[in-house]
Amino acid sequence: MPTFKLDGQDIPFEAGDTIIRAAWKQGIEIPHYCWHPGLSIAANCRMCLVEIKSARPMLLPILAWDDKKKDYVEATKPKLQPACQIETAEGMEVFSKSKQVIEAQSAVQEFLLLNHPVDCPICDQAGECKLQDYWLAHQTTSKRKETEPVHKPKGVRFGEKIVYDAERCVMCTRCIRFCDEVVGDHVLDMRERGNKNEICLSPGRELDHDYALMTEHVCPVGALTSRDFRFKARVWFLKSAPSVCNGCATGCNTYVDYDPRYQRVERLRPRDNPAVNAFWMCDDGMLSYHRFHQDRLLTGRVKSEGAVAEVGRTEAVQAAADALKSSKKLAVVLSAQHSNEDNFVVLKVGRDLLGARHVFLGALDPVASGWKGDEILKNADNNPNRAGATKIAGVAKLESTAALAKAIDAGEIDAVLSLGFAAAESAEVLASLNKVPHVSLSTHPGVLPLLATVVVPVATTAEASGTFVNAKGMTQGFQRAVLAPGGIKAAWETAIEIATILGHDLSMKKLPDVRAAMPALAAPATAPSAPPAPSAPAAGT
Amino acid sequence: MEPNYEALDDDGQLELPAEPMRLNMGPSHPAMHGTIRMVLELDGETVVDVDIQPGYLHRGFEKSCERGTYNQVFPYVDRLNYVSPMLNNVGFALAVEKLCDLKVPERGQWYRMALGELARISDHLTCNSAGAMELGAFTPFLWCIKARDYVWDILEQETGARLTHSFGRVGGMAKPPTEMFKESTLAVLPAVEEAVLEAESLLLKNRIFLDRTQGIGLLSKERAIALGVTGPMLRSTGLDFDVRKATPYLFYKDVDFDVPVGHDGDNYDRFMVRFEELRQSISIIRQVLEKMPTDGPVDCPDLRYVLPSKEAVYNTIEGTIAHFKIVMEGLKPPPGQVYSYTEGGNGELGFYVVSDGSGTPYRVRVRPPCFHNLQAAREMLVGDMIADIVPTFGSVNMIGGECDR
Repeated sequence: MPTFKLDGQDIPFEAGDTIIRAAWKQGIEIPHYCWHPGLSIAANCRMCLVEIKSARPMLLPILAWDDKKKDYVEATKPKLQPACQIETAEGMEVFSKSKQVIEAQSAVQEFLLLNHPVDCPICDQAGECKLQDYWLAHQTTSKRKETEPVHKPKGVRFGEKIVYDAERCVMCTRCIRFCDEVVGDHVLDMRERGNKNEICLSPGRELDHDYALMTEHVCPVGALTSRDFRFKARVWFLKSAPSVCNGCATGCNTYVDYDPRYQRVERLRPRDNPAVNAFWMCDDGMLSYHRFHQDRLLTGRVKSEGAVAEVGRTEAVQAAADALKSSKKLAVVLSAQHSNEDNFVVLKVGRDLLGARHVFLGALDPVASGWKGDEILKNADNNPNRAGATKIAGVAKLESTAALAKAIDAGEIDAVLSLGFAAAESAEVLASLNKVPHVSLSTHPGVLPLLATVVVPVATTAEASGTFVNAKGMTQGFQRAVLAPGGIKAAWETAIEIATILGHDLSMKKLPDVRAAMPALAAPATAPSAPPAPSAPAAGT
Repeated sequence: MEPNYEALDDDGQLELPAEPMRLNMGPSHPAMHGTIRMVLELDGETVVDVDIQPGYLHRGFEKSCERGTYNQVFPYVDRLNYVSPMLNNVGFALAVEKLCDLKVPERGQWYRMALGELARISDHLTCNSAGAMELGAFTPFLWCIKARDYVWDILEQETGARLTHSFGRVGGMAKPPTEMFKESTLAVLPAVEEAVLEAESLLLKNRIFLDRTQGIGLLSKERAIALGVTGPMLRSTGLDFDVRKATPYLFYKDVDFDVPVGHDGDNYDRFMVRFEELRQSISIIRQVLEKMPTDGPVDCPDLRYVLPSKEAVYNTIEGTIAHFKIVMEGLKPPPGQVYSYTEGGNGELGFYVVSDGSGTPYRVRVRPPCFHNLQAAREMLVGDMIADIVPTFGSVNMIGGECDR
């Protein structure tokens, strides 16, 4: 691989790489606002200026302060060039920490803060704001301007999800480019010049496409804020767990940002993975974290003679074992919403230990749940793990819950062990499930828990570690972020508990035991923590 | 060895055992300042051997420093040598400033010297007067502590706290000097001088005091050096080593002062060295107050390390960012390590600070003068009488907070 020198260090590059991208691949950051690895080059922030050694340097005449003469004298300085725009060449020598570069960075930073409002205490970006970070790293002085800053519109509604603050904006145009290049919707643009520069909506439009929250994510400052996350949490109190989105079969890599004090998930944001989601996520995915806390099943439910009683989790587990005890013709319903581990253990308990001969799959129906795929990230299937559940069952295709209802009607089944809340059909269609004892392990209320005799609450993907197989057949792992409320355990642990009460020994206690017993799926391809090897900036999958 | 009660002879007479008696002294003994345990081996009343066991005041100070920001260390260092907290504050601030390559403005440096020397006065007054009290001389104790209270009044006026000031900051001090600092300090110094003079007049012609200090608790110059003894204890053996003279920091090279030394390294010499140092401190303070500018900044203006003024925080974005970064993440010295040392109340107070570039110290190690001085105590006690333990140990001036950390 050809190399060039950056501050004396050899950096390999591929043909066509710019200086900043080649450095970024090596984990070296050249400070920047407008450049984004997934977007086109704008070169408008001027923060990434570097000095490039040349045989014929372009020298700019300047007036430099001379300390001895106590006066300005004529001098020259090399012309600096934006690292985000200049392509690398073999043997090129680049200096990103020379005196001129440091001066330029400091000057750019001073300009960017010239009219910036004193908003940090009320700004959601504080703590992860590039203006703050780069001020500490590259400026560290106060501005020299003493006049009133230029005031611009604040709190402008950019649609249902985004609020824009023009005063905080550094006009990097990342949001405009994101909408143009990734979404293909020119809904944002820029108006006026200089001090009065601001981002605006296309006439008659709102920022209402499916990737609006991404504009907030690419914003390096607090200009665009998400109405969902606004004023909810301060980012320095949050911790992150690498995870995978539950929203659809694409399996976008995410970080689950949670507040460890309250054990509450506060937001999802994309985790870079060029093989899956590049740098992006859709709005539905980013908002899917609400599911972790909203409308959860927190207690067990036992139905007897038509009445539903709420019971503690332990009693529910016992009731579940009782319901399955005398079954001779059990059916197992796996879930496209649950991890491979959950599906595997439920299947093992149902089929291998309790002798079930019928296996079905509970999955959401995209059409019925109002889901639409697109060409960017959103898969047509809104179940994150249909492929995984099918693989676990070891068949080409699993029959749906409608087939289960038919089988019950035909008298082939005398009990059901189901995983998850999801079923493609409505409760009316599946009414036959009422006829037999039915144990449902579920995170949320849904069709299956509604039709169950015994419901045992289980943990969501934020509360347990596991793996999903996405539509491309990639196995991706997610890690537990928060603790499950009220002693709730993962579905696989719950299934083992039920089996133990029924007198079976699974010799599996912990997640590694389960994974060791599981059939080999494709090796988990979670994103590396270092900057991923970037592919073409296109985000389509 | 316990006396054998069963072997009482017919007269009911108790046989004194011929072997040395083992006696436990402390940790809850009034003379074992700051909880020290001594296991004595006694032959009659003569100390044959003594096992000195520190550690009863261990607070995990060094480990505690690894979880906050650099400025959050100051309350901890207050509690090292808690008789002269300001010296510790300044010592730690200098260490971090060395790491960050910060230079504190002139006024701030003079201010640090003045407050530090006031702390030294408080330290020596406490040590000497408590030592005298333990020998039965209560009056000099009361007079000296009265003078110490005057000193603490000034420290309270400047810092808001009499004892644990937490007043040092990386790159400066928490507040600039008050308007009446010079005036009130100059007013107090004569009272201190008078108290010292009166205390001396009561003690130095007192047979009991002299008998119990002169020739007692001897420490040779060679052994003192070998054991790493510093401060007044080292100087009492006749060596004129003082960090303020040997490697001057702040503006100590610009003030005129003497380093008093003793001859024999006995209790009397240590006592006298401390009283003389106290007078030197007073002289230093007078010079400092004369040279300290009345105007100008106390804090280094580098916003990376020093909190901006509230006015700047509320009105400029740079001030807000600086405030946010320093408060939420802590100031971030460049990665590296330093050893920085100053003359504390009891000798060389060293801070070894390692930075990994984050806002939290990677390691803070203290070289407490007391710990090394305490090493010498065994040699000073062996051979003397049991009653000599009290004045000798008192003159070592072991401060538990610093020794055990």
